[in-house]
Amino acid sequence: MVKLRAKCILVGDAAVGKSALSQMFRSDGSHFQKNYSMTAGVEVLTRTVHIPDTSDGVELFIFDSAGKGVFLEACEKLWEQPAVLCLVYDISSEQSFQNCGQWLERVRGHSQGQHVPGVLVGNKTDLAARREVESGLAQEWAESQGLEYCETSAKEVENCEAPFLILAQVFHQLYQDRLQAIQALA
Amino acid sequence: MIDAALSSSGAQVVLATSSDENYPPENIIDGSTETFWISTGMFPQEFIIRFSGTQKIRLVTIQSYNVKNLKIQKSTFSDATDFEGIIDKEFEHTEGQLQSNDFALNGTRATHLRFIITSGFDHFVSVHRVMVEGSSESNL
Ligand SMILES: Nc1nc2c(ncn2[C@@H]2O[C@H](COP(=O)(O)OP(=O)(O)OP(=O)(O)O)[C@@H](O)[C@H]2O)c(=O)[nH]1
Ligand SMILES: [Mg+2]
Repeated sequence: MVKLRAKCILVGDAAVGKSALSQMFRSDGSHFQKNYSMTAGVEVLTRTVHIPDTSDGVELFIFDSAGKGVFLEACEKLWEQPAVLCLVYDISSEQSFQNCGQWLERVRGHSQGQHVPGVLVGNKTDLAARREVESGLAQEWAESQGLEYCETSAKEVENCEAPFLILAQVFHQLYQDRLQAIQALA
Repeated sequence: MIDAALSSSGAQVVLATSSDENYPPENIIDGSTETFWISTGMFPQEFIIRFSGTQKIRLVTIQSYNVKNLKIQKSTFSDATDFEGIIDKEFEHTEGQLQSNDFALNGTRATHLRFIITSGFDHFVSVHRVMVEGSSESNL
């Protein structure tokens, strides 16, 4: 039995729903903030995820970061040695998807050459009528960047936990792989 | 000369910030490099070794994997207070073999050594063995 700890950097453009997703995840789907309250800087939320078929857990330290540019510098100071990355865009905003590449680069700039597993999240699927980003296209881009992909609606409590469960599992797998490699050395 | 950092010499790990029950911190002081303690995510990580009595330390050797920066502090008090820094070192990355680093300490006195790993070359780092060459002061 082991409890891992992972620093999860949560980024994406302003108002795509990062705080909504992380708060839904932490409150188990009971807390959706309808009115936009901009994140200024970084808010850290934690929750432990149980890994299926094991007695292991991963405690996620979610660094919910501001999307607004003025806070970028302050946020980046707290991104040292990220373990995993959650990159969010709004499916009804082409621009928020276009900016994902830049967000990815910024976070990877703090990884010091280490592999940082990540997930790309298309949020606000309840706004399907105003969709500007096709799932297939987003998925393809995610794959090309080595990211997992999923779509969510924080508002409708759809799939909200998925990105974090994926990240916890990927991190747990990474731990198993590293353990094996170290055992082979000794 | 004895290895004061062996559980069979009365040493104990009194604190470790990570614990996978299959890779306990006691593996650091069991005299074998085959067994190890592994960190379970995030930095910094630390562990504290308590000796049986005060030691005059000549040499500390640490065998590890993927440790990037290590700080060592010592306490000369039996209740492990007032740690002061004695070493701050960037390690080389070794691919496919353990890191082995020696620190000569010229007879520094200590009851405890605290090892703080502030960064790694990977998300997880392992410590396989700490050896402390010194002589016990208690029977002087
Ligand atoms: N329709 C819809 N609205 C959502 C959804 N998720 C979040 N919102 C709304 O979008 C607005 C912005 O959400 P936040 O979670 O604050 O956005 P953010 O990404 O944290 O924004 P910054 O903190 O400024 O970077 C709020 O009004 C939310 O209620 C969703 O799935 N569907
Ligand atoms: Mg926010």
